[in-house]
Amino acid sequence: MATVQGGDQMTHSTRAAQKEADESAAPFLADGAGEPVPAVSAEQTGGPSIAVRNVSLVFPLYERALPAAPTREDDDDHAGPPPAEDERILLSPDGGIIGVRAVHDVSFDIGKGERVALIGKNGAGKTTLLQILAGILTPDEGEVRTCGRTTNLIRINLGMRGEASGHRNITLLGLAAGHAREEIEAKREQIAAFSELGRFLDMPVETYSAGMRMRLNFAIATAFEPEILILDEWLSAGDAAFRKKATERMQEFVGTANILIFASHSRRMLLDNCTRGIWLERGRIRADGDIEDLLDAYEAESGASRSSA
Amino acid sequence: MSVTTVNSSAAATRPTLIFEDLAAGMRMSQVWRAFAWDEMQNRYRRSVLGLLWIAAAYFIFVVGVGFFFTGFSSATTSFFITYVALGYATFQFLMGNVTDGCQVFTSSASWIKSAALPYSIYVYKSVFRSLLTFGLQFAMALAIILYLGWRPTWHAVLAIPALGLFILDAVAIQYLFGLVAARFRDVIHLVGAITRLLIFVTPIIWVREEQGGMRGLIADVNPLTHFVEIFRHPLMGAEPRQLSWAVALALSAVIWLVAAAAAARMKRRLPFWV
Repeated sequence: MATVQGGDQMTHSTRAAQKEADESAAPFLADGAGEPVPAVSAEQTGGPSIAVRNVSLVFPLYERALPAAPTREDDDDHAGPPPAEDERILLSPDGGIIGVRAVHDVSFDIGKGERVALIGKNGAGKTTLLQILAGILTPDEGEVRTCGRTTNLIRINLGMRGEASGHRNITLLGLAAGHAREEIEAKREQIAAFSELGRFLDMPVETYSAGMRMRLNFAIATAFEPEILILDEWLSAGDAAFRKKATERMQEFVGTANILIFASHSRRMLLDNCTRGIWLERGRIRADGDIEDLLDAYEAESGASRSSA
Repeated sequence: MSVTTVNSSAAATRPTLIFEDLAAGMRMSQVWRAFAWDEMQNRYRRSVLGLLWIAAAYFIFVVGVGFFFTGFSSATTSFFITYVALGYATFQFLMGNVTDGCQVFTSSASWIKSAALPYSIYVYKSVFRSLLTFGLQFAMALAIILYLGWRPTWHAVLAIPALGLFILDAVAIQYLFGLVAARFRDVIHLVGAITRLLIFVTPIIWVREEQGGMRGLIADVNPLTHFVEIFRHPLMGAEPRQLSWAVALALSAVIWLVAAAAAARMKRRLPFWV
């Protein structure tokens, strides 16, 4: 089930070896030469699937970054951009920051029934990659071919109408996900029960606490049985009771052929919900394999006792 | 059952992109109608007159301006007020689509950043809302001018294709201005400044046929004059000038071409701008 990327880019490779591999890999080759990616097409397997091929995205900053510090100009003799401390930051010739390479030449396949965890430090590109998988952001290079109805819960505070009631938001989100009104009415009771919001569903969503919003959003997203569910790390922020409930719901969900993609820092939630892990580092895939092995290696390196939650 | 989607730069920069997006959004009409209705209700929530404020504000302007400025015109008071009533509603709809267009995507930022919906949904929502406003104002206009003795002639039928063209253009205008104003935040201020001027240099509160020389020339150079007249003339029992239809059609074609080009070039970047 687990696939390993790029030959020597395995879990236990050293940083130096990985860097060498990165530099030798031709980044934007459409045919993926030198990238032994197993070609599992969606049509062959039948169920939902995601095929990610050589995806790169630079997060543009426009006017939001500060202009370069004046000291920079001393060593800039128009021979090119001055050396950056972080190779992910793209500089214009005059030293201004134009963007951040958030996702760089990422390829993988997810087949039906797979439950995949995205792990990596803050800023490793997890959320950006999730947004590309969900179709919210378009990659600069490469492509994502998705087969199946996709629902995402990436930015939990967005995508609701604050002034509308919880019930109204159930309707709006259901319609936005492409469901008929009868279908939404059929699910309403189940959503209300799962969210445990009761009469709060008659109040505007802007009066809700973050936890209440989260419960409602999660209840709606899972009620309509998407084939592919994409979740960002916010889920770990819920209280213990909610996390238990969410885990149960997710296990129900992936019991079928559905796909789950889940970014988190919580070891418990990852082990409970995922079978495969993809380790992102500085926008690239560091390793791809069994979730337990991957978490062990990841935690050994980052010395992260904090991530056991 | 399963839907296959391809998310790639090539798919997001095709020249036909705007039409694919518009078609995808049209299939989700339930969503944008619900959004538009919610927004309308929310804007007037907790006010006594509610949505009727749209008609009330319009009534105050038309009757106020009508009685005050009728002295500057050689036309009869009832003709002048009819002229103002129809012209102002048309102007409000046309320019309203430009000003609303500047915010069509920025005001939906939270959805654009969280849901993979066709962007045309936000455009349709906004156009639909401005049509509701226009409907209320036009109903009020009819009430005023019927009271003043206006009766339709067969020419009025010619206003229907004009309205059709307005709605078609409204979609392209809002899409275009939405993209451009999301990227360049100065555009909305520029549009606001120009709109305030346009209400005076377009024959709304003065009658073009009475003005020669400079003012007549300005009216003819101003494309908005022609858009207003292809709708107002038929309702006032006259055939619009062929020049007006020619200008309106040519400009519509340009707007659509520019909007299609802008969508192919800019749409992919929109989530970063809003």
